[in-house]
Parts: sequence; structure tokens; C-alpha cells
Amino acid sequence: MRKTIAFVFAALFMFSQAAWARTIVIAQDATWPPMEFVSENKEIIGFSTDFMKAAAKEGGFQAEFKNVAWDGIFAGLDAGKYDAVCSSVTITDERKATMDFSTPYFKVRQALVVPKDSPATRIEDLKGKTAGGQIGTTGYFAIKKVDGVNSKSYDEIGLAMEDLFNGRIDGVVCDDPVAAQYALQKPEYAAKLKIAAVLDTGDEYYGVAVKKGNKEVLDLINKGIEGVITKGLDKELRKKWMGQ
Amino acid sequence: MKEKSVINITDGAAIPLKKDPGLFSAWRIAFFGSLSVLAYLLLSRPKPYVDILKFLPDGILVTFQVTFCSIFFALFLGLITGIGRISRNRLINAIASTYVEVVRGIPLLVQLFYIYYALGRFVRVPDIVAAVIAMSFCYGAYMGEVFRAGIESIDKGQMEAARSLGFNPSQSMFYVILPQAWRTILPPVGNEFIALLKDTSLVSILAVADLLRRGREFASETFTYFETYTLIALIYLLITLILSKLVSIMEERLRYYERH
Repeated sequence: MRKTIAFVFAALFMFSQAAWARTIVIAQDATWPPMEFVSENKEIIGFSTDFMKAAAKEGGFQAEFKNVAWDGIFAGLDAGKYDAVCSSVTITDERKATMDFSTPYFKVRQALVVPKDSPATRIEDLKGKTAGGQIGTTGYFAIKKVDGVNSKSYDEIGLAMEDLFNGRIDGVVCDDPVAAQYALQKPEYAAKLKIAAVLDTGDEYYGVAVKKGNKEVLDLINKGIEGVITKGLDKELRKKWMGQ
Repeated sequence: MKEKSVINITDGAAIPLKKDPGLFSAWRIAFFGSLSVLAYLLLSRPKPYVDILKFLPDGILVTFQVTFCSIFFALFLGLITGIGRISRNRLINAIASTYVEVVRGIPLLVQLFYIYYALGRFVRVPDIVAAVIAMSFCYGAYMGEVFRAGIESIDKGQMEAARSLGFNPSQSMFYVILPQAWRTILPPVGNEFIALLKDTSLVSILAVADLLRRGREFASETFTYFETYTLIALIYLLITLILSKLVSIMEERLRYYERH
């Protein structure tokens, strides 16, 4: 008898757990404005943060955000420290081999930022000079692919921009919303920097990365992303964070 | 025999002693152990490991460059600071002591950021130069303490004797005191050298392409975190073990001269 009661309670407990929204812990490297960055109140804010909050509502899960350094963010995903990475991750074949991606939620291209007085109009114009990018990003890989341009990898894109601002390097390559944020929005940088070119590496799509085989989380996220895009919520967020 | 004062400022590495029992000394276990692990990894799984190893040489070179340049300037700075710390001139003494206090109170990582990014707004220096400046500025203070202790370990009578023979104070210092103090100073200097080599891994934060950063670049592109960092750790370990052996041989030599 006692066993039955215990069993019923256990079953009830399990059901109540299932009825509660599943919490998905999402890692973001909050150094990538305007996509994800830390506000003055020390909260993670930005386009992708808002996007995932909306997706959580649509997909029926709870989103919890965790600020994780980019260098090692995928190692943490693999180790199960969080459920997903939503940190402006471009879907690439190399990455697809080690993790699973959601449906794309944003399109970017790689942009080259240079000082205002630089004559460079293409990345190839920086031959014999040094261009910087964030370590392990598609922007940094793009620099490495160009022969004759010295590549320099930074922990954060902000440090690369600071070095460009101080004249230590000749260019920075990163996703175009981020390039725009630094070269156009931030008054101090905007006075000295400009976007010289959009690289012909083609369109890139951001996806939310989950550990390979984690279908449960992936389905929830995909459902959420679909809901946000069909409702057109992403366009509002785009206006809010990028003014376009 | 008079007991030499022992100087121990920071931890460099465990310097092996000659007295260690024969075949199974800690140094040998660590050295041959890491060497065989390295060989095993390279032979059994050449796919990631050999690729990683091929990616690293210029990083190792930068690590050595930063280490050697920094130790050179740190020794120079340390000598001046050490002499300044025992100077009777109040002003010089105050400057040297304040320098040591300030540097020892700020973490090296913060110093690196400060010299590179904060001062970078005013003075533009290349990354390696900034790294060397920060490392030598920091280690100069520690070296200063080593030099001070070394000089103070020399009996006062030596200075008095030199002065009574007609040497002026700086002559006495350079011709009489320092040559003797070297023996006490050299081992801890070797120790600091090893500590400095390990601390150069911090400069990877300045986007200096040293051994650690090269490894991080490789790992972030191929997602072979375990393999890359295992290899990086082994390489650092082997380098410091070889250096600590050299320091111990040097110490042995110095003891030999002491006896005769």
C-alpha cells in the first residue's frame, strides 16, 4: 500500500515537472554588440537575447542566459555545461560536423573595418599589413584565407577594434552588424573608423548550436524560431537593435 | 662554513637536487614520463597531434623571444632596483622601494592590460614590445629583491675593506661586492627565469601569437580542445623541466667553486 502511494506521488511529481516549461540554458559570449552584449546594468542584452526570449515564448520553454567566453564556448557545449549556444554562430560545415544547428535565424556578411584615411577597398588591399579578428570566428578565418595579409587573433572583437583605433593594426573583419555598431554607432570610433568593404565570402547564416544528437532541445528551439519568424517579430527586433 | 642566505621570492619550478634518490627522482619521472606520453600521442594518433605540433613552432619561438628579451631587461632593471633599495640616498631608496611595492601589488595580467590597452591610447608600441615592457617591468621588481638580498648576504667587512683600500663606493660595489654576490643571486635568477617563461603564457591575452595563443587558434578552428591543450601543457612542462635541470647544474657548479 505504502509503495503504491509513494509511486503515485513520484508519478505526480514527474508529471508536474513535465508540465512546467523546460528550462534551456543558453550560452552567449556577450561581447558582440548589437547581437549580444552586457548592458550597464550587467545584464545580457541584444538582438539574439531578445530573439531567444521571444522564441522561448513561442516554443514553450524557459530561456536562461549565461555569459561564456567565446574561446571555449563550444567545448562547454560539448561538456554539457549548457544546452545551447546562441551567440552569432555562423553555420559552417566544420561546425556542423561537431554540433547540431537550429534553422537559421539571421543573415550576415563579413565586413572589413579600416581607419577613415585608409585607401583599402578590399581585404586584398591589406597585403603586407595586419588585419585582426576574434579568435575562432568566420571573420578571422576569412583573413587567414587571404595570402599575404597577416592575421591576428583577439579574445574579443572589442579589443581588436581598440587596437585598430590605436593604429596597431590596419583592419578588422567581423560580422556586418557588429562592424556597423563600432564603425557607425559608437561616436568615438565612428570619428576614426569606416566600413571599407563587404567581403565576397558570401552570405552567412546564424544558427543556434546544440550538442550533437540533442534533439529534444533542438526541436523546442526550432519551434520557437519558426514562431518568431512567422509572426514577423524578428523585424521588430531588427528595428530595435539595428535601426533598420 | 658560514650559512649562505637562501633567497626564495617566487616559485619558478622545483629545482632538482643532487641528493634526490637515484633512478626515481621526481625530475626524471616527470621528464621521461611527459616525453613518453608525448611520443605515444604523436605515434598512436598522428591525425590531430602531429597537425597540432606543426602549427606551434612559431608560437614557441615567440614565447622564447618574449622570455629572453624580458629576462634581459628585468636583470638590468633588477640590478638598478636592488642597488637603489640599499642606497643610503633617501630619494633613490624611496623611488626603488615604491617601484617594488607598486609592481608587487598589481597582478601581472592587469599590468599587461594596462600597458597594452590603457597606455596604448597615448603611446603606440607593437604588441611584442608591449609584452616585453610589461614582463620586464614586473620581473624587474622581483629581480630587485633578489639582487638586494644577494648584496646584503655579503659581509659588511668586504665593503669596509674595499673602501679602506681606496675604492670609491661604486667601484667597491662593482669590483668587490657584486662578483661575490653573483653566487647567491644566480640560482634564484634561474628560478625567476623559469617563472617568467611560464608567465609569458599570459601575453596571449594581448593577441601576441605565443605558444598558448597558437594552440587556442588551432583548437577554436578544429574543436580539438582536449588534444591541443594536452600538447600545450606537455610542451611547457618539457621546456621548464629542461631549464630547471640547467639551473640545478649551474647551482652544482657554484657549490663546487665554493668548496675550493
